Amino acid sequence: MPKRVFLGMSGGVDSSVSALLLRDQGYDVTGVYMKNWSEDLPGMHCPWAEDLADAKRVAVQLDLDFDVWDFEQAYKQKVVDYMLDEFRRGRTPNPDIMCNQEIKFKLFYERALAAGADYIATGHYARADGSHLRLAADANKDQTYFLYRMSLAATARTLFPVGDLKKPAVKALAAARGLDVAHKKESMGVCFVGEVGMKDFLQHYLPAQPGEIRELETDRVLGHHDGAIFYTLGQRHGLYLGGGLPYYVVKKDLSRNLLYVSRNLNAANLWTDTLELEDLFLREPLPNLPASTSSTAPTAAAPVSVRLRHRAPLIPATFDGHALHFSQPIKRPAAGQSAVLYSDDLCLGGGIIAES
Amino acid sequence: MIYLDHAAATPVLPAALKAMTPYFTEQFFNPSAPYLPAKRVREAYQAAKDTIAHTIGAKGADLIITAGATESINLAFTACHHRALVLATEHAAVLAAAAPHHATLIPVTRTGLIDLAAFRKLLTDEIDFVSVSLANNELGTIQPLAEISALVRAARADRLAHGLTTPLYLHSDASQALSLLDLNVARLGVDLLTINAAKCGGPKGVGALYQAHGVPLQALTLGGGQERGLRSGTENVPGVIGFAVATADAKRHLGTHRKLYQTLNARFRQALTRELAALGLPAPLLLGHPKHQLANFCPVSFPGLDAERLIYRLEAQEIYLSTGAACAANKGTKSHVLTAIGLSDSEIAGSLRLSFGAANTLDQAEPAAQALAAAVAAEAARQQCTTPTSAQSATPAASTARQESRHA
Repeated sequence: MPKRVFLGMSGGVDSSVSALLLRDQGYDVTGVYMKNWSEDLPGMHCPWAEDLADAKRVAVQLDLDFDVWDFEQAYKQKVVDYMLDEFRRGRTPNPDIMCNQEIKFKLFYERALAAGADYIATGHYARADGSHLRLAADANKDQTYFLYRMSLAATARTLFPVGDLKKPAVKALAAARGLDVAHKKESMGVCFVGEVGMKDFLQHYLPAQPGEIRELETDRVLGHHDGAIFYTLGQRHGLYLGGGLPYYVVKKDLSRNLLYVSRNLNAANLWTDTLELEDLFLREPLPNLPASTSSTAPTAAAPVSVRLRHRAPLIPATFDGHALHFSQPIKRPAAGQSAVLYSDDLCLGGGIIAES
Repeated sequence: MIYLDHAAATPVLPAALKAMTPYFTEQFFNPSAPYLPAKRVREAYQAAKDTIAHTIGAKGADLIITAGATESINLAFTACHHRALVLATEHAAVLAAAAPHHATLIPVTRTGLIDLAAFRKLLTDEIDFVSVSLANNELGTIQPLAEISALVRAARADRLAHGLTTPLYLHSDASQALSLLDLNVARLGVDLLTINAAKCGGPKGVGALYQAHGVPLQALTLGGGQERGLRSGTENVPGVIGFAVATADAKRHLGTHRKLYQTLNARFRQALTRELAALGLPAPLLLGHPKHQLANFCPVSFPGLDAERLIYRLEAQEIYLSTGAACAANKGTKSHVLTAIGLSDSEIAGSLRLSFGAANTLDQAEPAAQALAAAVAAEAARQQCTTPTSAQSATPAASTARQESRHA
C-alpha cells in the first residue's frame, strides 16, 4: 500500500510542484485547499476562489483526490483575532507564524491524521528531518522563519517536497509538466492582506484614533497620525511629514497615543545589542545549555545564528535562555515579531521579541 | 478547440467587428458634438439603435442603451415601488435587483418552467412588478411569456374594475434568447425587455432595455442627459454599431442557426449516450424542458461526480464547457437554479452546462461527446477506487460529502 499524504494546495507553484513530486514518488496524494479567509475588503480582493480553482485544476491534471477544508472560523479566532489583539497592545505580530502553528500544522495536521494520513505535506521551502526542522536548500527562499513554532510531532509527520530544490528549478518543473501555475505571480506578505494592505486591513477593524507625531529630540509636534497602533518601530513611510530627510518612528507612547519620530538614524531607540524574548518555543537543546532553559538561569550563553525577519540574513548572537546578545548593535525589530535561532542549518526554535 | 459555452460568451461576429472598427478611429467623434462629422456619427448611432430595436419589434427611441444586461435589469427595477414577483431561477442580477423590493420568488417545476398556478396566487394587488426571464441561463428553459403577460393583463383589468391604481409592469430578461428566438415585444406582451450584445455575436459591455411607453423609469446614472436622460454618459458608439450588426445577422439566420444547433445538439446527445453505454456507464440526467428549451442548450448531470473535475479534464483537451452559470462556478456556491428545480446535492455537483453556437461545426459533436464520456469514465473509476479510509469518505454518501465540504 502506498503511503497516504494530505497535501495543502494553495493554488501556487510551490504546492503544485509538491503535488507532482509526491505523486512521482509513489505516494497516494490527496490535495486539500485550506479555506482560511474569503472576505473582500475595501481595496483588497481576496482571490480564494481563483486560488482554489488553480489548486483543483492541478489536482485533476495529476489525477489526485482533492478536497476543500474550511478553517475560516478557526483562522478568524486563532490568527486574525490574535493579530488584532497584538496590534491593540502596540505590538507588530506575525500572523503567518501563527497560521502555521495553529492552522496548517495543527488543525490541518490533526484532521489529516484522522482521515488516515501517514504524512501531511506543504509547499514550504524547509526541510523536515525527523522532528528536526532544517533550512531549505534554497537559502534565498527558506521559510523556516514562519515554521519554527510547528510542533515536533507534526514536523515528524511532515513532508516538504520542494525543500531540497531551488525556486527556479521548481518553476521549471511546473513549466515542463504543463502546470498553468508555473507563471503565476507569487503572493507576498500575509496571505489575505497582501503586501501593502496591513494598515488598510487594520483600519477596517480597529477605530482610528488621531494623535500627535512628535520629534523625539525636541518634543515638537510635527504632524498627526490616525492611531499610534498602526505604526511600527523603525517605520518611515506613511508619516506624511513632508520632504527632506526621512523621519523614523522611534517610540510609541500608547497610553498618550503619541508617536515619536526622529531623523537621527542613530537614535538610541532604533538600535540595541540585546533582545529579550518571550513565549519561547525551543525545538532543540541549545548548544552549551541544558535542555530545560526556562526554569533555571543559565550560566553560559549559547552561540547561535539569528533571523529577525523572513529572508533576513542570519546574524551571529549568543542566547542565554531569555535574551539574545549581539556583539554589535542591531536595528531593533518591533516587539511582537519573532527571533528564530539556528545552529548551522538546524532550526533551534525561537521566541517573540518583547518590549524594550 | 471545441467551445461549448456560448451561454457565457460568444465570439464577436467578424462583420460586427469590421463595422465597429472605424468608430474607434476615424469616426471617433462625440455624437453630441455640433460639427458635421459628429452629426454623421450621431446618425449612425441612431440607425444602429433602430436596427437593434427592429429585431424585437420596437423603435430605436424605445431603447435605452446600457453597459450590459445587468445594468438593464437594474434600470428596469426602478419601475418597481411596491413589491416584486420574480422567478426563483432568475439570474443573480435580477435576484439582487429585486431584493430591496421585498421580492417573492415564483416557484418552478422540475423542468424549470414557471408554476403558473402558483404565479396566479402570488399575483396579489400589492405586486407592481413581475420579472420572468424569457429563457433560463442554466437550463435554457423557455418560459410561456405570452401566458404570463395574459395573466398580468387580466390582473391589471381586475385592479381597474376594483378602482385600484397600483400599476403592474412585466419585465423579461431575454439575454440568452436574442439570437435563438424570434422576439417581438408586442407578442411577448412585456413592458420592459432586457437584451445583451455579448451573447449574440456582439461585443461585451453593451446591452439595452426596451421600455414600453408609459413605464416610468428612473435614471441610475446622472449627467449629460443621453438616452433620454435615463442613462447619461457619452454613447458607446462602436459597441452599439457592433450590437446592431450582430442582432441583424442573428435575426436573418435565426432559422438556419436554430436548425444547425438542433442537429448538433441531437447528435451530441446521441453520441454521448452511446459512448457512455459503450463504457458501461448510464446515460446522463438531462436537465431542463425536453421541448421548451433553447435549441443550443444541453444541460446535463452526472450524479455523484464532481463537474469541476470534468471541466478541468476536458480543458486539457481544449474542450471548454461550464458548470451552471459561469459567475457561480468555483465560488463554492450551490446553483440556486438547480436547487429551485429540486435537484439533489449530488445531482447539482455533477451538473454541466453545454451551449452550442457560432464557434461550432457539426463534426464537433462526436469528438466532444467522446471526450466527455471518457472524462466521465475516468472520474467514475477514480471515485470507485478511492478507498473509504478517510473520515470524509467513511459514509455511504462519500462522493456527496466530498462535494459538499466546499459548500459548508
